[in-house]
Amino acid sequence: MVDTPKGRPFGRANLLRNDVLSRRDFLGTSLALGAGVAAGATLGAWPGPAHAAVGGDLKIMAWEGFTLDNELKAWREANKVQVDAAIISTQDDVHAKLIGSNPVRLDLAEYSQGFERFYVDELKIVKPLDIARLPNFTAANIYPEFYEAPTWYWDKTHFALPWIWGLNALVYNPAMTKPITTYKDLLAPELKGKVTFCDDTIATWPMIARLAGFGPKFPNLTKEEMKTAFEGLGPYRDQCRVFGSSNGDVISLFASGEIAACFSVWSGTPVETAKRGVKTVYAVPAEGAVMWCDAWFMPISAQNIDTAYAFMNEAVAAKAQAEVAKAVTGGAVNKHAPALMDADTRALFDYGNLPEVFRKSPLQGQPPRTSDTYATYDEWTQAWTDFKSSF
Amino acid sequence: MMKGRRREAMGLALVAPSFLFLLVFFIVPAVLLFVCSFWMAQAFKLIPAFTFDNYSRALSASGFYLLTWNALKNGLCTAVLTVGLSFPAAYFIVYRTRGNLLFYLILVSWFSSYLVRIYAWRVILGSNGLINTTLMQLGLISQPLEVLLFSPFATILTLTHIMLPFALLLLVSALRDVKKEYVEAARDLGASNTEVLTRVILPMCYKGLVGAFMFTFVISAGDFVTPQLLGGRDGMTTGILIANQFRTAGNWPFGAAMAFLLLAAFLIVYLGFVRLLDLLRLAPGRRFHD
Repeated sequence: MVDTPKGRPFGRANLLRNDVLSRRDFLGTSLALGAGVAAGATLGAWPGPAHAAVGGDLKIMAWEGFTLDNELKAWREANKVQVDAAIISTQDDVHAKLIGSNPVRLDLAEYSQGFERFYVDELKIVKPLDIARLPNFTAANIYPEFYEAPTWYWDKTHFALPWIWGLNALVYNPAMTKPITTYKDLLAPELKGKVTFCDDTIATWPMIARLAGFGPKFPNLTKEEMKTAFEGLGPYRDQCRVFGSSNGDVISLFASGEIAACFSVWSGTPVETAKRGVKTVYAVPAEGAVMWCDAWFMPISAQNIDTAYAFMNEAVAAKAQAEVAKAVTGGAVNKHAPALMDADTRALFDYGNLPEVFRKSPLQGQPPRTSDTYATYDEWTQAWTDFKSSF
Repeated sequence: MMKGRRREAMGLALVAPSFLFLLVFFIVPAVLLFVCSFWMAQAFKLIPAFTFDNYSRALSASGFYLLTWNALKNGLCTAVLTVGLSFPAAYFIVYRTRGNLLFYLILVSWFSSYLVRIYAWRVILGSNGLINTTLMQLGLISQPLEVLLFSPFATILTLTHIMLPFALLLLVSALRDVKKEYVEAARDLGASNTEVLTRVILPMCYKGLVGAFMFTFVISAGDFVTPQLLGGRDGMTTGILIANQFRTAGNWPFGAAMAFLLLAAFLIVYLGFVRLLDLLRLAPGRRFHD
């Protein structure tokens, strides 16, 4: 089955008539004005070869390490599927390709929790899923916390397929500090200049709210509450000499001995620092951790639909889940996967009591894009930038 | 007549590709981005309008001034250091050496990527890095010098390292236009070494000097990756604010407004630098009058 690419022809936005333009409209029109020819920029959206069944090229966009290269190798070879994976640097990379009149062809992409309503209701870049085509994704196979949960399912419609999750928590180097059991331990004088924050808003903002006592309210904090939360974080910032620009940068800072602890960062960090000869510990302090969960969704520009469904179905199979959980130090959504994991991977999370994991580290969304009542995503971004800049 | 026309047509043919390239991929997008800076945006949607809100919002934010000041400091320090270091090297290469070995040795640092060089400096300047370890082993310090890394010093040092070959290339090219005969003629007429430098060489390589200074200044002041990775907590620059608006907040008009304000700051620095050279009588046009 092949879907026709959705969207208007390139550069058709009328600058004089339309009162709202997407970035892609704007770019399209810009290039058209400049070049007089827009064909080159539409290459990504031209219809590709038809795929009557599973097979052929599959264009996906995923986080580095989450493209299932090794885990689905046998499936790819058996079905003659060539996966063309683009890597996500930030979630913005995904919707930048899909918004506007000329979405770039992507058969599958990932979104983190918090982007669901923005993608589905505002940007309208998500195709609803036909769950019948995902036989591995059933209530019998999937933990109830992930099956038909409101982050991916509402109005009796599945919009995305949650497939991997984990915790962003505090990571520290035990050789440089005593064990850290609460975030307040980061304020110890001996850690002056040895603490960092990772520039990962999804991982950090919920914890900022929680430390200020607004945890359950996040992401819907008023402007005053948001301001209070950032003000309370001042002493933690004073412990920092540098901000980690990414998970990789934080790993590098740990490896070079520049930092002893990171406020809230990927739980796989200790695995990566160990590869560089530095032992670090991932800890869930008394205040809890921040849960993340990535979901596959089918963008409006998807073409190789059959293969995309088959790929998603394989991604939530127990064996692939167990393998990818080990590879990315993440958690499985398939109930049968922990039995196939090695002891270390299984021990990462308390699969026997997932409701407690969710209670302590709830899966929270993101601030609203527009609101008269609550601080918006833009305002959080500004406050975060101000915080990092020591204003 | 025919020959003249043919030559003119040939000239146009030679210029047209690069001109068209710049027109399509720089001038038109820049003009449209300028137009966009007066628009509004909501959640990645652009709303055509004509408002100065984006400019007033940027100009009323103290953070914008502070980060712009950081950017300008990085740019100015790097440009002064880079030009100051590369000018004597260029002079030596042009007037004192016959081969280009030294020139190529300096340019060879281009063969490593920008990010690799940034991370290399992190290793050199780090708490457990080359400098601190050596100083501690020599017993000169008991604790690592934290001022070396995550400081403006680290940012400017790295930017100077990155920009030096660019400045050198421009200055060597400019100095090669100042023939040895001019220098010798000045000396024959009784000019001292300082006078030869300030009244002959510098005015004659004025364009190269301004080009090298502004080139390094604009790139260094506009850079936000090096300050982010090496500048520490207080090292952020305006570039990160602009990038945030384009990528994270989805507010292109606001990002564009900040970019054009930064451009205005760059233009002021350019005019100031040119005026300074003029006041110091290092600009062409002054050299023949006094």
